Amino acid sequence: MSQKILILSQSHLESTTDHVCLWMDYLQIPFLRVNGEDFFQFENLGDLPDNTAIAAVWYRRKINSYPVEYSLKQPDFHTQYTLKRFLIDEFNGIHSFLFHTIDRHKWLNDPITEDRLNKLHVLALARQHGIPTPFTEVVTTSVAIAALLENYRELIVKPLSECIFLEDADGDQYKMLTKTINSANLRMVPEKFFPSLVQEKIVKKFEIRTFYLDGECYSMAIFSQNNRKTKEDFRNYDTQRPNRTVPYKLPVELEKKLDGLMKSLGFRTGSIDLMVDMEGQYHFLEINPEGQFGMVSYPCNYYLEKKLARLLHKSISHEEEIHQQPQRKERTAAVAVFPGES
Amino acid sequence: MSLLCDLQLRRYYHIPNDTADVYLFLQQHAIEECVAHYGEDNRETIEGYIDFVISRELGFKDHQLLPELTPLDLSWDRYADVTNVIIEYNDAIDYTASFFRELFDLHVQALEIRYYHAVSLDNIRAFVERFNGTTLKYIKLVLPYDKSQDLQLLDKLVKQYPRIKSLLIHSSPELRQDKIFDGSVPVVFFDRPVNSCTACGEIRANYFVSNLELFTESQHYNTCLNRKLSINLNGYIKNCPSMQEDFGHITTASLRQVLDNPSFQRYGSIRKDDIAVCRDCEFRHVCTDCRAYVEDPEDIHSKPLKCGYDPYTNEWEEWTQHPMKQTAIAWYGLKETNN
Repeated sequence: MSQKILILSQSHLESTTDHVCLWMDYLQIPFLRVNGEDFFQFENLGDLPDNTAIAAVWYRRKINSYPVEYSLKQPDFHTQYTLKRFLIDEFNGIHSFLFHTIDRHKWLNDPITEDRLNKLHVLALARQHGIPTPFTEVVTTSVAIAALLENYRELIVKPLSECIFLEDADGDQYKMLTKTINSANLRMVPEKFFPSLVQEKIVKKFEIRTFYLDGECYSMAIFSQNNRKTKEDFRNYDTQRPNRTVPYKLPVELEKKLDGLMKSLGFRTGSIDLMVDMEGQYHFLEINPEGQFGMVSYPCNYYLEKKLARLLHKSISHEEEIHQQPQRKERTAAVAVFPGES
Repeated sequence: MSLLCDLQLRRYYHIPNDTADVYLFLQQHAIEECVAHYGEDNRETIEGYIDFVISRELGFKDHQLLPELTPLDLSWDRYADVTNVIIEYNDAIDYTASFFRELFDLHVQALEIRYYHAVSLDNIRAFVERFNGTTLKYIKLVLPYDKSQDLQLLDKLVKQYPRIKSLLIHSSPELRQDKIFDGSVPVVFFDRPVNSCTACGEIRANYFVSNLELFTESQHYNTCLNRKLSINLNGYIKNCPSMQEDFGHITTASLRQVLDNPSFQRYGSIRKDDIAVCRDCEFRHVCTDCRAYVEDPEDIHSKPLKCGYDPYTNEWEEWTQHPMKQTAIAWYGLKETNN
């Protein structure tokens, strides 16, 4: 076999990539895993993965942390942050070059759409596909929130981008998670504020995490309602009483609509968040194209890592049909599975 | 009796068959239908059963049946031809043969290294070092008690080799349990010797495990021997150290030939559902099984010899005393080790 699967990932904290690689190796699917950290070992552009040698790309992660650190002689918080932003942009400059050098159709998910995914756009697109979404607005004043509370008993506020974690000088950590606003705590909201996303609060019976893989929906119900701590956001883990996570099958019509949504974005994989309210109605929340699927695969016994490996394998045969290249003899699959290890 | 397994929280509940019947009925029917079916007299009992599953977070009440909550798929698969290995370590054996390297290139997940005799920590280090660069995730060490190898030294060892995730110290002066590496690595001090493999194969409630891996594998394969391989004290390849038959010596054998040998694979497909008595036992899918010591050595489908549980009476007896087992005990020559 002449071509390989390219897996873009990171060397640490990536058990999902490790697991898929183990399946690839077992199924004798030739692959090349390039971690973001490997870019620091490349000598020049010629060391980047070459389009002709690659049948398909699974873009999982960019990098965990840079293997080098830079700081000014007299660092302060602000310059450190500016420097960090700059290095991220520099790294992305080289990493996303691959989006252009490797044919777009080879990527499991369209990489440019994935990198620039916009929450509001995805919600609008979902509605176009007939998928119910919670009422969503972006507002800047408490007056606007008060007006919305006339129609909706409670609202939630969450970032338009992604949640971040903050740490102050004393080492205290602040988690950013979904918060509720209602008439009782409206007085805490400042008169004017940064444009913020608010959403009608769905009183949930349970949450659903669906892993979408090439037209199929693998869903899991997450029961966190009994657990006061995780009522609003199940990422607020309770290790003593973990959420109950069980297999779930979405109605076929909803699966079809989600399939249409994913296809319109050019995604063949991704994690989809939904909620089921007390009346049993579904509400679409968001898509994480590079979302974790180990947390769905394991408790539901779906073997998604193996299914993904098989899907990637199909791409090799597909590429060969297109090009009908004569088979060259080449050593395959001689790839370190855990390149981070010494 | 029946068993209600919580595979996620790794618990199980031993329940009467009548209770199990009610739960099965409730899978398809409303609570009121269930009361109508079993009679109004049983309302309180049925409600008690329902409160039990709710209190254990095994279920919740809703105003309708939810067929979308589909049954768990019980299939089982792994990315390795051998998932578990036991080595009875012997200083005199050369563990550098190609067989050995190829074995761990298969992505073996877990390894138990048994030291029956005193061993230095440097010796252990040198051996464990070999697994750097492999995808092996889990090493369990079985060591004889040595006063000089205190918890501090063991802690240093596991920090240096984080694949070591569990230790069993046999021949200890007392039975106790400790934890090292910030509480992540259990160290069990066992007050009896583990100096040969004849001590193995006991079936006890303490050994039952209610988890997804074992439960699903048990539906299709033998949980004791499927995709498992052992290298005994003399370097011979076996399904398990306690089995009679060997498949060659590690210095000369070919891994592929061993794995392709139907005799090597024949035990892997013996499910609990194929074993006499076990097939009727409620613990069958949380149990470890043993094919090395069975009640009738002539019949590989007979019950594990070292199991004292009777699923028909729900009673545990001391297996060594059971009159029906004496012939087999003598056959395996187990007398001395158990009396």
